[in-house]
Amino acid sequence: MSDLAKPVADRLLGIVLIGLAAFVAVQAIHLDVPFSYEPVGPKAFPLGLAILLAGLSLVLVFKPGADGHWPHRAQALRLLVVLGLLLAYALLFTRLGFVPTSLLVVAALARLFGTTWGKALITGALMAVGSYVLFTAGLGIGLPTGTWLAAIL
Amino acid sequence: MFDFLIEGFGVALSPLNLGLAFLGALLGTLFGALPGIGPINGIAILMPLAYTLGLPAESALILLAGIYTGAEYGGRMSSILLNVPGDAGAVMTTLDGHPLARKGLAGPALGLSAVSSFVGATIAILGLTLFAPLLAEVAVMFGPAEFFALMVFAFASMSVMMGKDPVKTAIGAVLGVLIATVGVDSGTGVMRFTFGMPELYDGIDFVVMIIGLFAISEILLMLEQAHRRDVDTEMPPLGRVFVSLKEVLYCKGAMGRSGLLGFIIGVLPGTGASVAGAVSYTTEKRLSDKDGTFGHGDMRGLAAPEAANNASAAGSFVPMLTLGIPGSGTTAVLLGALMLYNITPGPMMFTERPEVAGGLIASLYIGNIVLLALNLPLAGVFARVLTIPRWVLVPAIAILAFVGVYQLHSDLTAIFLMLIIGVFGYLLRKLGFSLAPVILGYVLGGLMEQNLRRALSISGGDVGILWQSGISLGLWLAAAALLVLPWLLPKLLAGNSPREDVEDG
Repeated sequence: MSDLAKPVADRLLGIVLIGLAAFVAVQAIHLDVPFSYEPVGPKAFPLGLAILLAGLSLVLVFKPGADGHWPHRAQALRLLVVLGLLLAYALLFTRLGFVPTSLLVVAALARLFGTTWGKALITGALMAVGSYVLFTAGLGIGLPTGTWLAAIL
Repeated sequence: MFDFLIEGFGVALSPLNLGLAFLGALLGTLFGALPGIGPINGIAILMPLAYTLGLPAESALILLAGIYTGAEYGGRMSSILLNVPGDAGAVMTTLDGHPLARKGLAGPALGLSAVSSFVGATIAILGLTLFAPLLAEVAVMFGPAEFFALMVFAFASMSVMMGKDPVKTAIGAVLGVLIATVGVDSGTGVMRFTFGMPELYDGIDFVVMIIGLFAISEILLMLEQAHRRDVDTEMPPLGRVFVSLKEVLYCKGAMGRSGLLGFIIGVLPGTGASVAGAVSYTTEKRLSDKDGTFGHGDMRGLAAPEAANNASAAGSFVPMLTLGIPGSGTTAVLLGALMLYNITPGPMMFTERPEVAGGLIASLYIGNIVLLALNLPLAGVFARVLTIPRWVLVPAIAILAFVGVYQLHSDLTAIFLMLIIGVFGYLLRKLGFSLAPVILGYVLGGLMEQNLRRALSISGGDVGILWQSGISLGLWLAAAALLVLPWLLPKLLAGNSPREDVEDG
């Protein structure tokens, strides 16, 4: 957290949003309709929204609220690790299969959220197998068994 | 006039739907009691799974509505026992609920809150039954111009009433509407903001959107609280979970007034349980707090917000069912769920799909009784849910989120999109936005544009049609008044009241 007298987060956000509004406006203007039976077309609504967004963002830039509490460095790092884990979950979901991927990701998440490795691994195993049974047998959802496994067999 | 209700009870009393109402109430109470998971998260996480069950629309809606009302019940547990509101609607419950628990009256406090929730919800469901068909009859006269004006009014009312920062609420709503414009334009077939990605042609999928926005951002947010111990997790002893008739009668005035207030606030678009709780508590305090006992464990101070937040939950179904305009963030999610079944709620629903409208209303009556029956004897069991550690909760949410999205799409793009939206939701929450306006904007955005364009097609491009009729002109004026008054009134009265800065259910 900064000790600056002026709050930064909202001003930065306002500027980013004005950029977004400009981007939306440019994109909308370039929408070409060969012919249309209606007077409005696809441009007007996004354009109007862009103008509204830009106006509201200007208020943020000139009258920003207080900065919230942002994570310090160690927290930010853990946040990135969690995001990385979720990304890995997505990437391995179909490749490694539901049960092994869930086991690994659940165990890693549980460890990150403050338990011991032993408990984390047991939680991972129980949750991965338990949810697999619940979803496939109970709810009839087909879950991936893993393309890598299939390739080996 | 009440044919729909008779048909509705026929639907709701079928063994399947009765079972679903029970299941919804149970799951909702459990999810509401879980730390950090309010009604909106609960529905977001459970909705895709309900969708897989292949239930007919009315059954799915009965299940989801059960979860919604159940979560309002569950939210009070941590308010009373731990002084940590489980969701925004339960913030006011902490003020007198927790002092009661500290006095050793945790059990009676839980019992009383269950009874007040029941009374508040009953008042509101009766109101819904009486009021919704009448409003539907008026709404049949609405044309596209009136609907457009109504949505503008809804957004104005939301900006003023919801969250601490009206500008951010409005920005959130605009962002939501913008997200809704992604995909093929239904009027002309032009691709908008798809950047050549075929996955975006149909727009940002509803399930991906709500799971990302709520479940994933919640996981990221919980990480910060994982290593923080600023809450005393010491659970006070429950004692008897029983409330005497004398105690209930002592609070009957508070319950009745707050139930009525909560219903009215729930009906207003955009104002949900947290506003209802705050308004009813301050009203009751002004009316009944003769000895200065409010805030120190006065039973009426607990009964009032509990009756009001459950009443507002039922009240927010009025605009959703009759106008297709959700009264709260959670009903916006329910509305989106209905749209998955190709049902657009609106005035015609009472005549065209009476089994859905009536079935839902009838199931609210049943669910309310089920909830009271569950919550009085099982409060001790639900209270134990509070002690589930985050290291169990977070991985479970992750699994539910991934499976929920995967079973609908079976492709990785949807999952990546869910993660991106999750980060977006996390940043918004860190920046002091509530997510309810975003989801309302996203759900209503498409309808808003369609109605605007339909109105202008009728008039041949003349924007005058938007405020030609008395109804639409009235709505525009009401919207303008809402936006100007909060800014003007304090200057006139030279004093303003503090606002709640919590996410609205």
